[in-house]
Amino acid sequence: MNDAIDAGLRLMLHRPYKYLRLEWNSELAMLRVRTCVKPVQCYSLAGLSEMQRVLDDIADHPRLVRHLVLSSDVTGVFNFGGDLALFVLLARARDIDSLRMYGHRCIDMVWWLEHAAVRGVHTTVLVQGDTLGGGLESVLPFHKVIFERSAQAGFPEVLFNLFPGMGAWPLTIRKAGFAVANEMILSGRLFTAEQLMRRGLVDAVVEDGEGEHAIESVVRMIEPRLRGTLAALHARRVAAPITYESLQEVVDMWAEAALTLTTRDLRLMERLARAQARKVGGGDEGAVEELKRIELDTAWGELRDSNGALAEERGTGVTAWGALGS
Amino acid sequence: MLPFFADLITRTDEARREFETNPVVLDAVAHGMPIARYRSLLLELYHLVWHFNPVCAAAASRVPDKLRQVRYFLYEHMHEESGHEQWVTNDLDAVGVSQATLLAHQPSLNTLALVGYNHWAADRRDPCSALGMMYTLEVIASVYGGTFAEAIRSSLLLEGDRGVSFISSHATMDAEHMAELRQVLNTVDDEAAREAIVESTLVNFHHITRVFEAV
Repeated sequence: MNDAIDAGLRLMLHRPYKYLRLEWNSELAMLRVRTCVKPVQCYSLAGLSEMQRVLDDIADHPRLVRHLVLSSDVTGVFNFGGDLALFVLLARARDIDSLRMYGHRCIDMVWWLEHAAVRGVHTTVLVQGDTLGGGLESVLPFHKVIFERSAQAGFPEVLFNLFPGMGAWPLTIRKAGFAVANEMILSGRLFTAEQLMRRGLVDAVVEDGEGEHAIESVVRMIEPRLRGTLAALHARRVAAPITYESLQEVVDMWAEAALTLTTRDLRLMERLARAQARKVGGGDEGAVEELKRIELDTAWGELRDSNGALAEERGTGVTAWGALGS
Repeated sequence: MLPFFADLITRTDEARREFETNPVVLDAVAHGMPIARYRSLLLELYHLVWHFNPVCAAAASRVPDKLRQVRYFLYEHMHEESGHEQWVTNDLDAVGVSQATLLAHQPSLNTLALVGYNHWAADRRDPCSALGMMYTLEVIASVYGGTFAEAIRSSLLLEGDRGVSFISSHATMDAEHMAELRQVLNTVDDEAAREAIVESTLVNFHHITRVFEAV
């Protein structure tokens, strides 16, 4: 390893991250990034900044990292997505500038991942728990998406009259088509790992506890044919491009939509934030929470549309949100 | 260039999240509080509310003429907040704390430190510091106040707004104030004043988190 690359590696690994844990595998030139935004694992402004720092460091030191692997250090949660309390604050302050700023930071990360192949980096993500909204959006640009079987994901934003605005539409359409994007984004329901794989959004589902082994297998399988794989992935992007301008335009629409949220919508958002906190706290639940869950489940609904082979699937409903609250 | 309000949010977001994710606060927002701790919290809160207007008045009297919009904003806010300590008194009464107990209550060191800082900052640091205090209190009220009031109501089996009138009404009211506060903050173009507002926000979040922790 030459001196410049060595110095780059030391710089990257020794930055004082608060929400990330980095590990380096020199044999595979693999950077493992484990996120840990405790106690509520979400994309906070500081968490986003740290993640972008890592990506910038990789970009600043070409040929250093060949494999980037992302996973979560928080048991049962990959990522709850946007910082809901921050959204409530910005919506109440009617602060469209900050909403846009937040959205742009998110799409900058998506955009970097979109161009990872051009930078000579193959990306893999392991999801071992719930991932919602922005959490799922952040998974979709990875080249290889691995879910452990008990992991669940969805875009719940429509429940509080919003929509996922940081790449969900183009990334889902590209991977799974219009029908699936419509189904997932407009229903707001949660999907199991198996359901997501059937829709083409997940590349592999492995048993719980086998995710780490799956990462190793994927990276070792790709390593000998990395240049060809990256060239093919780059060509795939050219064949089905997503533009930064379109991501920006959607973020701006998302920010405008956030300003139209009513008190009822914001309260619902607060309740989801509270449910996230309960999941972390592991505390008991009372009758009030049970009633809220049922009410929420009514909004969440069962899978309404019959859609060929997928028609027999049932919504995860109470079970799904019960998991958040338990 | 970002408007100052966006800059303030970015630079103080970690302090907000530290408040929000403090185990005591998380538990209080999710499950409410035992009555003894809620009484202690209201007793501490009383002093914060009671000193709010004197801090704003001190700040308003020192705001330079070039920031007259800040001075007018403080006047209006003081008018709106006037008498709100009585709401805390009523809530204390509803949860069984007499006026005599309230008057005899010695605020905690955390509360004294916070009130002391806010007076000092308005007087000696920069009068616009008061906007940092206001921002912190309004974020806490408008973002967390509603769910906290609901959790307290459920855990203590309180009816309607009885016992939670201060927190509950500020959750709604401060939602409207947030937009007004954003507008006035974006007019502050003095660098020293902006730095003082950021510092005040950080100090207020820090001490309020400690107040919650200690009750």
